[in-house]
This record gives sequence, structure tokens and C-alpha cells, in this order.
Amino acid sequence: MSEAVGVRIEAVSKRFEHRVKGEVYAVKRVSLDVRPGELVTLLGPSGCGKTTTLRMIAGFEMPDEGRIAIGDREVTRVMANDRNVGFVFQSYALFPHLSVFENVAYGLRVQKKPEPEIGRAVGEVLELVGLAGYERQMPHQLSGGEQQRVALARAIVFRPRVLLFDEPLSNLDAKLRVQMRGEILRLQKTLGITSVYVTHDQEEAMAISDRIAVMALGEIAQLGTAEDLYHRPNSAFVAGFIGRATLLPGRVIERQADRTTVEVLGQRHAIVGDQDAVRVGAAVRLVLRPEALRLAPRAGRGLPGVVGARSFLGEKTEYRIDVGDAAVLVASDAEAFKIGDPVDLRLPERGLRLLDEPTS
Amino acid sequence: MRRAALGRDPTLVATLVVLWSLLALFVVYPMVVLLGRAFVDEGAPSLGPLLSVVGDPHHRKAFVNSLLLAMLVGVFGTLLGLLFAFAATRASLPRSWLSAFDAITLLPLISPPFTTSIAIIFSFGPRGLITHDLLGLTGTSAYGLPTTLLSETLTYFPIAYLTLKPVLASIDPNVEDMAYSLGASRRRVFWTVTLPLAVPGLANAFLLLFAASLADFATPLILAGNAFPVLPTQAFLQITGLFDFKGGAVLSFALLVPAAVVYLLQRHWVARSHYVTVTGKVGPQSGYKGTTPLVRGLIVVGCVLVALVVLYFYALLLFASLVKAFGADNAFTLAHYYAIFSEGWRAIRDTLIIAAIGMPLGGLFGVVVGTLIARRDFPGRDALEIVTMINYALPGTIVGIAYLIAFNDPPIALTGGAAIIVACYVFRYSPTGIRATVAQLQQIDPSIEEASQSLGARSGETFRRVTLPLVLPAFFAGLGVVFIRSMTAISATIFLVSISWTLITVRILENMTELSLGPAAAFSVFVVLAVFAVTAGVSTLLRRLKAPGTAPISVFGT
Repeated sequence: MSEAVGVRIEAVSKRFEHRVKGEVYAVKRVSLDVRPGELVTLLGPSGCGKTTTLRMIAGFEMPDEGRIAIGDREVTRVMANDRNVGFVFQSYALFPHLSVFENVAYGLRVQKKPEPEIGRAVGEVLELVGLAGYERQMPHQLSGGEQQRVALARAIVFRPRVLLFDEPLSNLDAKLRVQMRGEILRLQKTLGITSVYVTHDQEEAMAISDRIAVMALGEIAQLGTAEDLYHRPNSAFVAGFIGRATLLPGRVIERQADRTTVEVLGQRHAIVGDQDAVRVGAAVRLVLRPEALRLAPRAGRGLPGVVGARSFLGEKTEYRIDVGDAAVLVASDAEAFKIGDPVDLRLPERGLRLLDEPTS
Repeated sequence: MRRAALGRDPTLVATLVVLWSLLALFVVYPMVVLLGRAFVDEGAPSLGPLLSVVGDPHHRKAFVNSLLLAMLVGVFGTLLGLLFAFAATRASLPRSWLSAFDAITLLPLISPPFTTSIAIIFSFGPRGLITHDLLGLTGTSAYGLPTTLLSETLTYFPIAYLTLKPVLASIDPNVEDMAYSLGASRRRVFWTVTLPLAVPGLANAFLLLFAASLADFATPLILAGNAFPVLPTQAFLQITGLFDFKGGAVLSFALLVPAAVVYLLQRHWVARSHYVTVTGKVGPQSGYKGTTPLVRGLIVVGCVLVALVVLYFYALLLFASLVKAFGADNAFTLAHYYAIFSEGWRAIRDTLIIAAIGMPLGGLFGVVVGTLIARRDFPGRDALEIVTMINYALPGTIVGIAYLIAFNDPPIALTGGAAIIVACYVFRYSPTGIRATVAQLQQIDPSIEEASQSLGARSGETFRRVTLPLVLPAFFAGLGVVFIRSMTAISATIFLVSISWTLITVRILENMTELSLGPAAAFSVFVVLAVFAVTAGVSTLLRRLKAPGTAPISVFGT
């Protein structure tokens, strides 16, 4: 196996002509440094530019500005067939007229590899994705999951330096999706191929990524590990996209060392932990994760609320707690609260995130 | 593939250079020469030739006649097509009936020209089966507007049927049932729901028939007679009879104007306004209640009558090819078939050679252009699409005269050879292959070609290994159309045949003018059988080649 290489994207932009809005940016000055062997996910809602970014790394689209390098080689203007990049398509894009064997062998045939080597390499990689014995099947005879494995085998058989995934699991049913993402992760780690993975599914992104770049409106909103993004989101968008959150407006009253006091819904609350650079007096928003909140029968300790809605989900029970005008989502182990019950909503001391941005 | 990538794709650049050179030579250049001949008099731009033609009452009459005939054929053909389409989609006929209707309406489409004309002369001529033998009339004439109209209507109404059938079929019957359940009467449902939804399809069918009749050269040549001159035959006689190339060019131009207007109308008005009534899932459909049994019966009877007339014509043709002299001596003979395979053999051989050369070229041209149009983004793509359509959209007479004038003299003298006929077929009949390729590729995920690219294949290699195998059905469809047309077309190629290269259709015409109707009938039967066999063969091949998950392609394009 060749040495893993990094992918460096520098201030890359892609514009297109919109029928109504005129020239708009699909991708706007995006920079990203993928380390050798790392799996980075581009995560975001549809239209955020994640697929366009991926297609520019592959060479299917040419950036209007910026540079792309794979390892030490600048590839900004290099054609896709000359980049040595494996691509796994959302639609699998198997060649419908070729057997499983020939689909996987395609890249090797293009490279004019000798026949025995092709046979051996294809056999190995089919074994690796669990499709040994499927060589003579045609794509339309395969299930969605099997087609996905062929697409994967085809993308890795010629030892690409970089592996790119464009929402590879979105056409599979929920159960298969979980299973396949485990296999993709296992393969990627075994082979040690630097990978960029595009998805709109935050759970999928958190499950497989070394790091995640959350994208919005053509820009990277935040880059970090799943833990970073969950516990320390830097914007309301990221807080809402990674996991679920209720945002409550507040004001910073006091700061000392790693202790910050905020006023929220008329009550003072002390938070332990680093809160970056929020100034005293600043309007902030508190990021409340549903599972970090606790409920207790009304006793005057915590924010006074009323149970507004309740759904029993098995492991947890989800409540909507109305505190004044605010509605807060709480996932609780307690099943006993009924709609209309007065409750105390207890905020945790640790792990609360303050966003230094005014409510819009 | 973006514009920016053009410079780095040498295969694409080379392909475009070759295509544009060919199109410039065989599409643009002949048209420029034709217009030059029509509008340049003694080296100076002039409207003189045009005015002299307009001033000639005989030519003016031909112009008016052409439009009148086209209008009538459009109206009657559309009505017949509607009748058949309604029967096929709304009369709940058994499957075998539908197949029979489809086969019978296919016959005129794959027949050589003159087929119905010959049968009409056999039926309505001075010694016609109907006029003379059945009705005892003498001195009747089979020439003029009524017979020309009948022949063209029966020849071209299948186009309307093929256009209207999918239109009616795509109207969700639940919409009609809805109107019915809201209390509308059956007649009201037809007039207020079915018909309005079918209007774009009707207009489209009318325009297609109008254009087909306007361009038809063979039928009026035989049936219109001196009393009813039309433009294509006038242009033909001007050139072959009077050797007046300039007059022919001007008459062609007179034909070009309405043809271009109709083409533009069809393309830009009708093509855009079609309704989609099937939105979301089509629910279970009850039987169509829009017709009473009486109306339904009348429609079916009408269709059966028309089908019988068509069958009668072909039976007559077959009969005439097997008797010594139709009407005079009805003794069985194979002499006419012997004749076409002996003295007529050269025409058959030439036709097959030219078809054999034209088929792969036309098929490949269609696939290459179709792939470029459907899959690549390059400067001038729309222009390429339009230019490839020109020879197809224009009446054959215009194309034939343009080729004759353009390639008769140096610098590019091609007339007399086989190459000019092959070129005429390739550039006139490949649009079917182009559209079949585009239709095929629209059903194939573009990522498939990107996948090939990301696996290291260059654009030429991707085309060879992936695109070409996937558009193989379109390739064979294009091939089939070139074959059918080489066996049946005459309007353009009549100007291009020579002593050394001739065609079956031209031999049929010669037989007709020599009044040797027996060999003409035998030739026609041979062509119908050959085309039917090839059509069936190609259709079978297409079903075999059909890529999984894509819709099948018709030999007649879309």
C-alpha cells in the first residue's frame, strides 16, 4: 500500500448562474485540510455546497477560484481521470452492461494491467466487501446493499490515493444503512485511505467521521470532532444541526475564572466551564441539549414550567416544557409527568454552551 | 463537463471539428448555394427570379394548391388518427384488436411511395376495379385533388395516430371519471375534459401531417395530374423537364417558407404546451365510462372500415404483382417478380449497397451527435443540434435540389456517384438516431460516465467502453431508419440518381410512367416485405439490447 496522503483545499469557490437570483455561490471560499488517513465528513442540509465541494475534489467540477492539492500535487486543473481518486456515488453508478467482476475490474483494465493481476485484485477486493462468488452477477440482479458493495469495491480496487463518498447510504433502508456505515468505516481504517464523505445525516456523520465539517450556504460553519461540535457548537445552526437543542435567550451577569453567571427567563444560573470570550452584559443564547436537562415536580428549584406535550419513546420520554413563552425540549428517564403538570426545569451546571450572538 | 474543460479534452475538440466540417459541407453549403441561386441574378442580389415565379399564375396556383392540400390532409389525417387513438385508448378493445390496428397503421409508414397511388389507380382509373368493374363507369379519371387527398390521408394518418395515442393514454382516466361523477354527461366530459387536454396533441398531429403533405412529392407526381399542380412536383419538372435550376431553386424557396413556419410552430409552440395529468400515483382505474356502447360501436366500426380500406389497397397491390396485366388479363404469373430480379436487379443491388454504406455511418453519426448534445457542455451545442435537424425538417425536394445544385460542379462535384446519395441519407435521416440517443441517455444516470472518468478512463475510452454499449439500442434504431428510408424515400434522391447509381423507388417511378404497373407493384411488395422484415429484426434486437430499467426505443424514434 502506498503512503496515505492529505487533501488540501484552499479558498475554493464555485459560482453558478441562478435563473432568478443571478450569479450565486454554490461554494464560497472553502478551505479544508484533510490529514493523511483521516475520514472527514462534509455535513449539511441540501444545497449547502457539500456535494459540489466533493465533486471539485474529484475533478467533475472545476473551481472558479482557489486551489486543490492531493498530497504534494496540485490538481486544481487536472482532469478527473488523472487524479487517482476513488468515488462512490449516491446512485452507485454501476455500469449496467457489465458483470460485477467487470465493473470492479474496469479501473484496472483502463490501466492495462495484466489479466492475472486483474483476476487476483478483483477477487481480493470482492472478498473484502463480502461479495466473493458474485463475479458473474449483473448489477440489476443485486440488492441495493450489494450494489453499494460493488461500487465500493470498484472504487478501492485500483488503490486510489483518496476515497470520496457522495451520500453513499441514502438509498438504503435504515437498518442496512447502519450496517453498511460500519463496514465502510472498517474498510477505510483497514486500508488507511484518506477519505472525504458527504452526508446530510448527522448521526451517520458522527458515527464514522474523524472530523466533521458542518456546511451551510456554501461555507464551512464549523470544523471539528463530533464531540467538539456537540458540546461546543459555535453557532445556532451547528447547535441545531448536530443533535437537538433548544436555544434560550439570556444575558451574562458575571464572569470569574471558569464560572459564568447568566440570567435566563428571569432567573440566575451559574455555568461551570470555559465559555470562550463572552463579555459581561452581552446578550447570549444558551444551548440546551434535551438529555442534559432534568425535570422534577414543582418545588421552586429551577425554571418553573408546565408540561405542554409528552411522547413516550421507550428508552426516554420526551416532554415539551413551556416556560413562559419559551418551549423547551426535554428527554427524561421519568415517565410519570402528565400534560399540564407543573414542573421545575433544572439546567445543568456543566456542559452548558453559551452562544455569543443575539437572538435574531 | 464544463466549458473550461474543453481545451483539455482533445477527443472532444477533434470530434467537434470533424462534425462541423461535415455539417458545413453537407447541410450548410448546399442551402447557401440554393439560396444564392434563388436570389442572385447575374452576379448581383436580386428579387427578380422570385418575382417572376410569383408572377407566373401556374406557379402561384401550385403554391395555393400545396397549402390547400396540406391543410386538408392535416384535418382529415388528424381526425382519422384521433379516431384510432380513441379506439385504442378508450374503447377497451381486446389486445389482439389493438395489435391488428397497430400493424395495419404501420403498413403505410414503411411502404415505398406510390403504394397507395398505384392502388388508387387500380381502383379508380378508367379501367379501375371500383369505377369500371363495380360501378360500370367509363371515362373516369383517377387524377386530381380528391384522389391525391385520399392517398395522402391514408398514407400519413398513422403519424397522427402515433402522436395522439400517447397523448390520450397519458390523460388519467380518473380525471374523466371525476368529471363524470360530478354530474357531467358523457358528451360533456368529452368536450370539456378529454378534448381540451388533447388539444396540444391534436395541433401537433395536424402540423406534422401538414408538413408531411407539403413535402410529399411522390403522391402528387402520380395522382395530382396537370389540373392540380403542387410545388414539389413543379420544382421537379422545372429541373428535370426544363433544366431550369434557377426556377427549381426559387420554387424550392417558396416551399421552404411554409415548411419552416410549420416546423417552428411545431417546435416552439406545441412542444411546450402539453399537460401532465398523471401526478403522483395513478389509482385503480375503473373502466372508462365516457362513451356509450353506441358511440363506442361507431368508433370501432369506423376504424375497422379504414383498416379494411388500407388492407384492400395492399391486397390489390399484391394481386396486381401476381397477374399478367391487372384489369385486362388476370392470369397468375411470376413474370413481374422475375423482371424485378433480372432487369430490375441493378436497382435492388444499388439500393442495398447504398443502404449498407449509409446504415453504419448514419447510426454512428446519430449516436455521436446525440451523446454530445445530451451529455456535453460546449460552445455551440444548440447550434449543432439545430443544424443537424435542418435536412430532416426540410421537404426532401428542397434538399435534393440543393444537393444537385451544390455538388453538380467543381469545387465539389459529387453528382452521379453513390457518395452523394449516402450523404443525403446520413444527414437527412440521422436525427431519428440522434433523438433516440438523447432519449436513451436521459434515462441513464450521468454518474455512470463520471464513474468511468474517476476510474482513469479518458473521454474517448469512456465513450467506447461505457456510453456506446449503453446507447447501442439507439444506434440500431438509427441504423434501421436509414435502411427503411433508403428503401422508401424518393423526394430528395430522385435528383441524385444517375446512370451508374439508381434506386428501387426511382425504378418504381419509371415503371409507373411507362405504365408497366405490374413490375411497379412487384417492386412495392418486395420493399414492403424487406422493410417489414428488417423492422421486425431490429425491434427484436432492440428488445434484447434494452438496458435493464430503461424504456424500449421505437424504430420510428420519438
